[in-house]
Amino acid sequence: MERAKEFHSYLIGFGLATVLTAIPFLLVATSTLSPGWTYGALVLCAAVQLVVHLRFFLHLSFRGQQKEDLQLVLFTGFILLIMIGGTVWVLGSLYTRM
Amino acid sequence: MMSNPTPESLHPGLNLGEEHGEDHLEAETSVFGFWVFVMSDLVTFGMFFAIFAASSAPMWMAGGPGPKDFVDIGSIAWQTGFLLASSLTSGMAVLSLKERHAGEGASRGRLIFWLLLTAVLGFGFLYREIADFVSMAQMGAGPTRSGYLTAFWSLVGLHGAHVTAGLLWCLTIVVGVLVRGVDKRWKLALLRWAVFWHFLDVIWIGLFTFVFLGGLI
Repeated sequence: MERAKEFHSYLIGFGLATVLTAIPFLLVATSTLSPGWTYGALVLCAAVQLVVHLRFFLHLSFRGQQKEDLQLVLFTGFILLIMIGGTVWVLGSLYTRM
Repeated sequence: MMSNPTPESLHPGLNLGEEHGEDHLEAETSVFGFWVFVMSDLVTFGMFFAIFAASSAPMWMAGGPGPKDFVDIGSIAWQTGFLLASSLTSGMAVLSLKERHAGEGASRGRLIFWLLLTAVLGFGFLYREIADFVSMAQMGAGPTRSGYLTAFWSLVGLHGAHVTAGLLWCLTIVVGVLVRGVDKRWKLALLRWAVFWHFLDVIWIGLFTFVFLGGLI
């Protein structure tokens, strides 16, 4: 049953996303870890939740997908890496020189 | 070369499925085209994030309020919950197209129910966000106070504007489905809107992580 499978996919995605959202909120609200570790945990949870959303909500996968769609997403990711990384790098470097 | 005339999935996002015949096949170009837009929108958001990251050093706060002064973690938790729940209900709306006798009678009722529930949750999100903006403006943390606050209002405001557009789109689909029935036009609109709505939730992960919680550490 395709529909039942997709319904379960949504529930699994929702469950995982809820946990991955609750962890960073609890870490920040209770300040259990040192700031550095908290930030690391936040970034990790966000990255995993991004994959969960793409996989379970947007149904993006490496199998059974048209090539163009994946290439579009990966190319956009590449462009973002250059532009965000470049901006933060250049402006961060400028900041330390002031 | 391996040929596969009917791949499992024609485009990212929920597919209509072969039982929808022509509509399923036509969705391929329609939804792929929309993904091109969404990815260009993602680049726009990416640049707003980059500007925000470059403006969050203490110097850019110009002695004005920083995130610890105005971010209310309880309100952000509510907004996150509203948006995440609405992502689930928007998926349920699209899934109702997969029921037997999809788009007719009780099935159409369920489609409209999920769409309206998504709209209510989206409205709850916007209500809390605007309330936060108002209280920020009242405490002197408006967008003109510092470079940091300009970047903050632009980034969070851009996302809020997208959610507003998504809400209007959702209500338009409700009206369209009521007036014209669940025909091809509204099925394809629903598929694209669902991609848009999930995309806004993905952007929100970046917002609550880097802008709100990251600012509170």
